[in-house]
Amino acid sequence: MRATPEAQSEVRVEAQGYDRLAPRTAAILIAAGVFLLDAFSPIEGAVAVLYVVVVLIAARTFSRRGVVLTTAGCLALTLAAYFAAHRTDEVGAPLLRCFVSLAAIGITAALGLRHKADAAVLAEQASLLDLTHDAVFVRDTRDVITFWNRAAEQFYGWPADEAIGCVAHDLLRSTFPADRAAIFDTLHRTGRWEGELVQRTRAGETVTVESRWVLQRAAAGAPLAVLETNTDITERKRTDSQLVASERRYRAIFDNTRVAILQQDWSGVKADLDRLHREGVRDVAGYCMASEGCVVRMRNRVRIVDANSAAQRMLRAPSREALLGTLDERLPEADQTFPQALAALARGERSFESESQVRTYDGETIPVLFGVSFPADPDDLGFVLVHAFDITERKQAESALLAVQADLAHAARVSTMGELTATMAHEINQPLAAIVTNGEAALRWLKRPSPDLGEATDALGRVITNGRRASEIVGRIRGFLKKAAPRQEWLDLPEMIGEASQLIERELVRHAVSLRTEHAPGLPQVLGDRLQLQQVAINLMVNGIQAMAAVRGRPRVLTVRTLREEDGQVACEVTDTGEGIAPEMREQIFQPFYTTKGDGMGMGLAICRSTIEAHGGRLWVTDTGTGTGATFHILLPAGAAP
Amino acid sequence: MLDMPTIAIVDDDEAVRVATASLVRSLGYAARPYASAEDFLADLARDPVAAPPDCLITDVQMPGITGLQLQDQLQAEGRTFPIIITTAFHSEVLRQRAVASGAAAFLEKPFNGDVISEVLESVLARIGRS
Repeated sequence: MRATPEAQSEVRVEAQGYDRLAPRTAAILIAAGVFLLDAFSPIEGAVAVLYVVVVLIAARTFSRRGVVLTTAGCLALTLAAYFAAHRTDEVGAPLLRCFVSLAAIGITAALGLRHKADAAVLAEQASLLDLTHDAVFVRDTRDVITFWNRAAEQFYGWPADEAIGCVAHDLLRSTFPADRAAIFDTLHRTGRWEGELVQRTRAGETVTVESRWVLQRAAAGAPLAVLETNTDITERKRTDSQLVASERRYRAIFDNTRVAILQQDWSGVKADLDRLHREGVRDVAGYCMASEGCVVRMRNRVRIVDANSAAQRMLRAPSREALLGTLDERLPEADQTFPQALAALARGERSFESESQVRTYDGETIPVLFGVSFPADPDDLGFVLVHAFDITERKQAESALLAVQADLAHAARVSTMGELTATMAHEINQPLAAIVTNGEAALRWLKRPSPDLGEATDALGRVITNGRRASEIVGRIRGFLKKAAPRQEWLDLPEMIGEASQLIERELVRHAVSLRTEHAPGLPQVLGDRLQLQQVAINLMVNGIQAMAAVRGRPRVLTVRTLREEDGQVACEVTDTGEGIAPEMREQIFQPFYTTKGDGMGMGLAICRSTIEAHGGRLWVTDTGTGTGATFHILLPAGAAP
Repeated sequence: MLDMPTIAIVDDDEAVRVATASLVRSLGYAARPYASAEDFLADLARDPVAAPPDCLITDVQMPGITGLQLQDQLQAEGRTFPIIITTAFHSEVLRQRAVASGAAAFLEKPFNGDVISEVLESVLARIGRS
């Protein structure tokens, strides 16, 4: 849209509701004066030409119809004056003057009407400028404001009559984004300029505007005026800067926190999850674990798209970029938590937390505590934040603590055994000493030159008495041991197996073995020594893990199952997927000092069996029935239901 | 028979005490068994005129006064008869302490008949009572 200074003045006439009475009166008075002069004065000249003034006033102030009527009136008055002063047959100079006057009036009216039409169009266009929310003003070549729209009045606070005539960028105290001369150079070269200006309003407020300048040129090409349209972007700038600050804060947290953060793209698994949902699969974790290759495929679809420096340090990556890849590259084979996280996502949960292991860039496996934050909108799955914390030290502390506890329990036992041994030694040593001494005495009595059979018989009688006494003491000690040695308590087997599993976690990870536990619901408790039975469980589990060390090409799975037997017993089965045990070896492995390990004592299974038998149970081994692996069976008498 | 050397035996365990006494007698000595150091000391005090034993065989571990304390006390009283310390729990420290305090011998239970015979003979020979 263009506006010219002329159009602007017209707008102002319209806008201010100019009083029309004064020009109307003036027109009538002038017309009357001209008529009197024309008709009755002796002046020889084209006095009627002066009606042009009346037409001009009309053209400026009257409506189109008013102009036409005024013009007609003037023409009529010209003709009337002519006929009044001259006879009709009189041709010559007066008639010529009359025609000149009529022509002048007619031409003036025509021009006036045309100008009026142009002005109306311009006024209409200019009024549109008032409708826009943008502040629009026009400044001439000296930067002096010549037009100022309503939005500019409202936005800057100066009414048009105050703004017009002022030097635009002095009034607004504009700050330009670049050198002002360069900006004007661009404007004159290309005819337009766009950029951001910082300005002040009348109230002194600082505002930021997006400014668009258009240069108006005269027909010859010389610059005439500049139309400047300014859009208020102060609020947008503020919001933008808040967003920028927020982003900067987030970035600072992301970069500087000691917690490793990985931004992951999970959108790749969404299609799979949707498909499973359509197919009615509810147990996503179970389904994935069971279906061949599902977990690995899904792990490969999750991509790491960003990582902070803590993640880089924790995963020992040479650069941030080195970590950008698939989740599969970072998770060890035996990870159990990813399917659970998938299931949490499928259930629509917003977060998932667990403990697992991750593979570092240099190939080690470290334990981590991690949390996954899923976005509220499933379409934003490209932005999943995973934070992780290296818990190697905590794990080490935990195992150290468990080891210390086991050591303490062992030490307590050893000291009890020590006391027991001392008591036993003292109790038994006395009758033994008496037996030997009496024996010696009997021999001496018999060896005397005249053997004293009475003394010898007495001494031998005491040998027998003390022998009996020694035997009684041994019996008493055995009775005491039977009563005191096993620390009997009610044990929940699944819970005890859970504790044992924690102790062998590192072993599982190191051998890439996944552990499955299946517990019969409502399993009765068993009465026994927690530490001893736990040692048996650990022994069997570690044996199973080591039996799978050479397994290639099939999953290494250790399954620990608890079952309730019908005859009031509880069974625990430890199954591996290793090479199995030959039938002829199945009894031999329980013999003391039998071992397949170079550094083994060969006492493990022998002790396990005697421990289980001391608890009134049985321990044996079978094949799994699947062609691979072995199953160790423990049967224990069941106690109370939990 | 009046000349027969007398051996006092102090041991809280009756079976051992009776057996030791029998062994000592079978070797041709008179045996005077006591169930505690207190009994022995009381007997010594009650009859100062009667001759003290020619030798004492005492156990170390006893309730009340132990064998080593008994030895110290007898030396403090100026008794000069030789003392043989015996124990069921051998310890080198104990042996050294006993010998350092003036024990004539240190024997482990159960006794070897030949050993105790030799020890008694040599101890009594030293004091001219064999």
